[in-house]
Amino acid sequence: MSVESCVLQGAEAGGFILIQDTVKCTGRGLLKCFINAALKRGEDVHVLGFESPETEVCAGLDRSCVQKLHFHKGFPDPLGWTRRSSFTVERFASQHITQLIKDTQQAKASVLVVDSLSLVLRHHDPLVFCQTLQELRKGGVIKTIIGLLHSDLHQQGIVGIVCYLASTVISVAPANNERHSVAKTTRRTKSGKVMQEEEYFSVCKDATLSVQAKPRQPGHVQKERDVSEADPTSNLTFNLRLSEEERKAKEKVALPFVFSQEKKSALLKPTPGSGRIVYEPDDNDDFDEEDPDDDLDV
Amino acid sequence: MFPELNSILNSTPDSFKSSDFILVSDRRADASFLIHHHLSFYLRGLDHNVSGQGVSLAQAREKGQLVFLEGLKNSIGVILQEDTSQETQPLSYLRTPGAGLEGLFRFVERSVRQSGDGDAGESWGPPVLLIDDLSVLLSLGVSVGAILDFTLYCQATVCSELQGNMVILVRCEEEDADDDEEGSNLLRRGLVHQCNLALHVEGLPTGYCRDIHGQMEVWWRQGEETIYNQRKIFHFKVHDKGASFFARGTSSAVL
Repeated sequence: MSVESCVLQGAEAGGFILIQDTVKCTGRGLLKCFINAALKRGEDVHVLGFESPETEVCAGLDRSCVQKLHFHKGFPDPLGWTRRSSFTVERFASQHITQLIKDTQQAKASVLVVDSLSLVLRHHDPLVFCQTLQELRKGGVIKTIIGLLHSDLHQQGIVGIVCYLASTVISVAPANNERHSVAKTTRRTKSGKVMQEEEYFSVCKDATLSVQAKPRQPGHVQKERDVSEADPTSNLTFNLRLSEEERKAKEKVALPFVFSQEKKSALLKPTPGSGRIVYEPDDNDDFDEEDPDDDLDV
Repeated sequence: MFPELNSILNSTPDSFKSSDFILVSDRRADASFLIHHHLSFYLRGLDHNVSGQGVSLAQAREKGQLVFLEGLKNSIGVILQEDTSQETQPLSYLRTPGAGLEGLFRFVERSVRQSGDGDAGESWGPPVLLIDDLSVLLSLGVSVGAILDFTLYCQATVCSELQGNMVILVRCEEEDADDDEEGSNLLRRGLVHQCNLALHVEGLPTGYCRDIHGQMEVWWRQGEETIYNQRKIFHFKVHDKGASFFARGTSSAVL
């Protein structure tokens, strides 16, 4: 299942989509694509924004569906220090979130987006956090949970636990060129089948996803097919082409190091008039009249 | 203030991007020259009457443009005495290690909100917060999570709300495979996630050199609505009057 279809179709009910990023490549752009696609599908989207301001999260989203987006202000006060937030990290528990969603007018199954899960994990016990996630998935009020996790800010074990809970994990990493990033999608269906896919993607200004070709080998980008190969022998001031006779003559030329029958006999038979070798053996020499090369099958 | 660095970062004291969080970090090198650059850069931006090379910090402090919190100096007093007066509130985390940096943030918030009013009623414009250096808090026993919460709040107040800028210096230790849990590298990663621009100073990987003092990586992370993720490495040399920056391989010693 490609990341594009994941974004466009969302997950099935009770799904948990995890976007993992590192300092090398941020996953917030992809998160925005998910939000935009959910809004376009007509779903109610509740964003628990702890790390980024509302303006940044909503920038580029489709204006016609923005009223279905409910941004619960964690940022700029996610911990309640200045008493200006409507939802603090501390209240990340299934009963509070369920109540928050039910308080909106249309309480049909909603999409819950958390930005970011890293901040929540910093202030909650991992076990309690996992329990909360499972309760939310089974609660019925939330159709899908989409979370952003900065995997290089936590111990490997914690990242592993959260990945295990997720039905889809998308890890983003930088690609060789700056315009694209690589998304590795791992999806587990309810039947237990695991599908993996790796693709290039980039996020457009209108929060839509643009997926390019899959990387065949690490570091290779597929060439664009509509660039036709140019003929190198055209438009030159000298002639690089062969006429019919020239081509035939070229094929007839015997190559220097290929042994054909004529070459062999020409090399081995002494031609008349060639030099003779006169050898006068010394007393110490062991002169043998026989030809030492007699046994060669040349 | 280094003119070459201004052109690399595409900013001048008269026109720079506001609401920016700039992270300065170093490993086995000293990046404090970049803090000096930013200090004089922003002071110059405030006061166009500054002439010549120098910016007087004492004068700026008197005028109220510059507010200092001498963290290390005051922290000894907090640890040794029972002084719970207003002046030591910012450092109250030293007495109660489990507490976060809320007190320190409140001090910062008070200062940046007040800084808008100068003596003669003139407004200095959006505030700039400079922290030198944040990794000292780690050695004082504060957890990485608490520091990241503190910087998130500073960013929310200084950059997002007041449209000011924030420059933070972090010193990193050697990268260690076991060092994933706590430590300066984890702190740096958390700050890189939050920042708009990261400047990282290291020694040359090939060793010491008389003409090139180190390399600086400039990492443009994100603007307000766009995500850049562009990295470039420059070499630099610090001298009396400032520092010069050049592309790799173009040092005057080499050419």
